[in-house]
Amino acid sequence: MSAPALERPAPVRAGRVLPFPVTGQEVVLILVVAVLWVTLAAATPAFATEGSIVPLLVAMTPIALIGIGMTVVIVTGGIDVSVGSTVMVCAVVIAKAMVGSGIGLPAAVGLGMVVGALLGLVNGALIAFGRVQAIIITFGTLNLFRFAGLQVFGSATVEGIPATLAPFGRGEEGRTLGVPHSFLVLLVVAALAWAYLRHTPGGRHFYAIGGDQDAARLAGIRVRARIVLGYVVTGLLAGVAACFVIAQGTSSLAASVGSGLELSVIAAVVIGGTSITGGRGSVLGTLLGALLVQTVRTGVTQLGWPSQLSDLFVGVFIIVAVGADLLRQRRRPGRRRTT
Amino acid sequence: MTVTARALRLVLTQRTALLVVLLAVVLVTLTTLSQRNYLSAPYDASYLASTLINAVPLAMLALAELLVITSGRGGIDLSVGAVVSLTGMVFGFAYGQWGWPLAPAILLALVLGAACGALNGFLVAHLGFPALIATLATYYAFRSLALVVNHQKPINSAPVQELYSTATSVPVPLVGDALPEVPLGIVTFLVPTALVVWLVLARTTAGRRLYAIGTNDVAARWSGIDVRRTRWSAYVAAGAISGLVAVVTVAQFASARPDSGTSGNGMALPAITIAILGGVAITGGVGRVAGVVLATLLVVWLNAGILLAVPGNRGSQFQLFALGTVLVVAALLNALTQRRYGGSR
Repeated sequence: MSAPALERPAPVRAGRVLPFPVTGQEVVLILVVAVLWVTLAAATPAFATEGSIVPLLVAMTPIALIGIGMTVVIVTGGIDVSVGSTVMVCAVVIAKAMVGSGIGLPAAVGLGMVVGALLGLVNGALIAFGRVQAIIITFGTLNLFRFAGLQVFGSATVEGIPATLAPFGRGEEGRTLGVPHSFLVLLVVAALAWAYLRHTPGGRHFYAIGGDQDAARLAGIRVRARIVLGYVVTGLLAGVAACFVIAQGTSSLAASVGSGLELSVIAAVVIGGTSITGGRGSVLGTLLGALLVQTVRTGVTQLGWPSQLSDLFVGVFIIVAVGADLLRQRRRPGRRRTT
Repeated sequence: MTVTARALRLVLTQRTALLVVLLAVVLVTLTTLSQRNYLSAPYDASYLASTLINAVPLAMLALAELLVITSGRGGIDLSVGAVVSLTGMVFGFAYGQWGWPLAPAILLALVLGAACGALNGFLVAHLGFPALIATLATYYAFRSLALVVNHQKPINSAPVQELYSTATSVPVPLVGDALPEVPLGIVTFLVPTALVVWLVLARTTAGRRLYAIGTNDVAARWSGIDVRRTRWSAYVAAGAISGLVAVVTVAQFASARPDSGTSGNGMALPAITIAILGGVAITGGVGRVAGVVLATLLVVWLNAGILLAVPGNRGSQFQLFALGTVLVVAALLNALTQRRYGGSR
C-alpha cells in the first residue's frame, strides 16, 4: 500500500529532507472519501446538492479546526482530552457577553481566542513544568474547566443569543459565492499551520520533540516552551471553534455544549494518520479525517439509517485507517517495529 | 532521618498511606461539620454506608482499568462505559424479554463483556494498535450498537424492574448488626471482584507476569513470558468486569438503558481517574487493588459530603471540581515523588 513517493528518497534541496506533500495515508483517505461521495451521490440524489454539501462542510469546521491544534499536540507526543470542556467554557463566556453587553463579531471571536488560549496555557504549563503525562492532566482539567463553565452558566441555559455570529453559520449570510465563511477560515488556518509545521524550523521542532524529547533538548530546542505553545494554540483554536458552534446552534445554549467533542477530534486526527506516539502527523491528514467522519455522519442520516449508527462506522474507520498505517510502518525499511 | 522526614517519605512513596491520611481528613472534617449542623443532613455511618451504592460500578471499572493500565505499553480502556451500555442491553433482552433465568443471564453478560474485551485485546496485543486508539474505536462501535439495538429505547419489563429489589441494603455478613447495613451490590459483586483481582495480581504467577510485561515488555519476552497472551487476557478480564457492572447498573436503575455507561462524561473517565488516584502508574507495571479501593472510598465519601454541604445542582458541579483537583494534585505529587524518591509503590 506504500506509495512510490515513500520508497524514493525525496530530492534534497538545501539540506532539507521532507517527504512528498501527500503521503500514503492521505492518498488512501482521498480515495476513500471520493468513493464514499460517489457511492452516496449514486444512492441518494439529495447528497450531491448544495443543500447537503454546504452543511457538511460547515459541520466539520469545529472538529477540523480543533484537530489542527490537536495534531500539533499529538505530534509532540502529548494529547488534550479537555478540548470539549474548553469549547464549553469559551461558548458560554461568548454567549453571555453577547447577551449581556451586545459585543460585535470581532470582539466575540477575540474573546473566545483569549479565553481558549488561557485554558490551553493552564494545560501546557501543568504538563511541561509539572512533568506529568498529558492524558492525566487533561482528564483533570476536563472536569475543572467544565466546573468553571457551569459556574458561568449559572442557570441551565443561556437564552436569547443575538445573531451576531451568523456570518459563520449555515444560512445565506454565512456564505460568499456559495462557499461557507467558516470553511474558508478553516482553509486559511490549515494552510498556515501546514506551511509552518512543514517548512519552518519552529514547526519541525514539534516533530523532533515527538520523535525523541531528550535528543531534541540536547539539540538546543526549547522543549517546554514548544509544548506549552502547542496546548495554547489548541485552546485558541477551540475558542474560535466555540464561535462556530454558537453560530451553528439556535438562540439558546445548553450546558451540554462541547460534551464528548474531544473524542471526535481525536478520531479525526488519528484517522488522518497522525501517530499517537508522536513524531509523525500532518494537518492535511487531519482535514481529510474530519471530512471523512462528517461524510459518514451526513451519509448515514441521508440514507435514512438511524443516526446513531454513524458512530459504528467511525469506529470501523479508525481501526481500518490506523491498521493500514501500522501495516505500512512494518514494511517501512529501517524503522524499528513498535509491536 | 527525623520522624517528620520519615513520615513525609512514607506518605509520599506509599500511595495507600497517603490515601488513608486523605480519607481520614475528609471523614473528620465532614463529621465535624455535620456535628456543628453545617450540613443539610447528618454525615454519619449509615449515610456513608448507603452512598456505597455509587462505589460498586466505580470501583469495579477502576479495577478493570487497573488490570489494563498495569499491562503497560500505553494500556488504557476507553470502551468500558460503552461495554456496560451494550452488555446491559443484551442482559435486558435475555432476562427481561426472552425470559432467561437470572444466573444464565448474568453469565451471558459476563461472556459478552469478555468478548468485547477480547476484541480490544486482540487489536492491542496481537495487532499492535495503540490502546488509546483501539479502545476509542470500539467505544464508538459499542456505544452505537447499544443505542441502535433497541431503537434507543430502554428495556424495563417486569422482571427487570423487580431486579431493583436486589439493590437494597443488607447487614454485613459475619459481623451482623455491629456495622450499618450496606448495599447488596457490595457483597455480591464488588467484594468478590476485588478479592479475585487481588488474588490474581498478588498471589498467582499470572499476576506476576502482568506486572512483568507492564514494567518491561522486552525483558518479559526474553524471560519466556507470552507477552501478547498476557496482555490480551488483561483486556478480556476488563471486559468481563464491565459485563458484571452492566448487571449492577441495570439492577440499580431498574431498567436497561442504552446510554447507561456513556451518557455525559461516561463511566470510563471517572474509572480511569480513580485508578490513577489509587496509584496506578499510567506507564504500566505499578498498581495495587488496595490503592484503587481506597481511592474509590475517598471519591465516593468526598462526593457524598459535597452533596450535603452544597445542596442542589451546585453540589454535583462541585463534585467535578473536587474530582479534577484531586486528580491533578495526585498526578503532580506522583511526578514529584518520582524525582525526589525514585518512584512510589
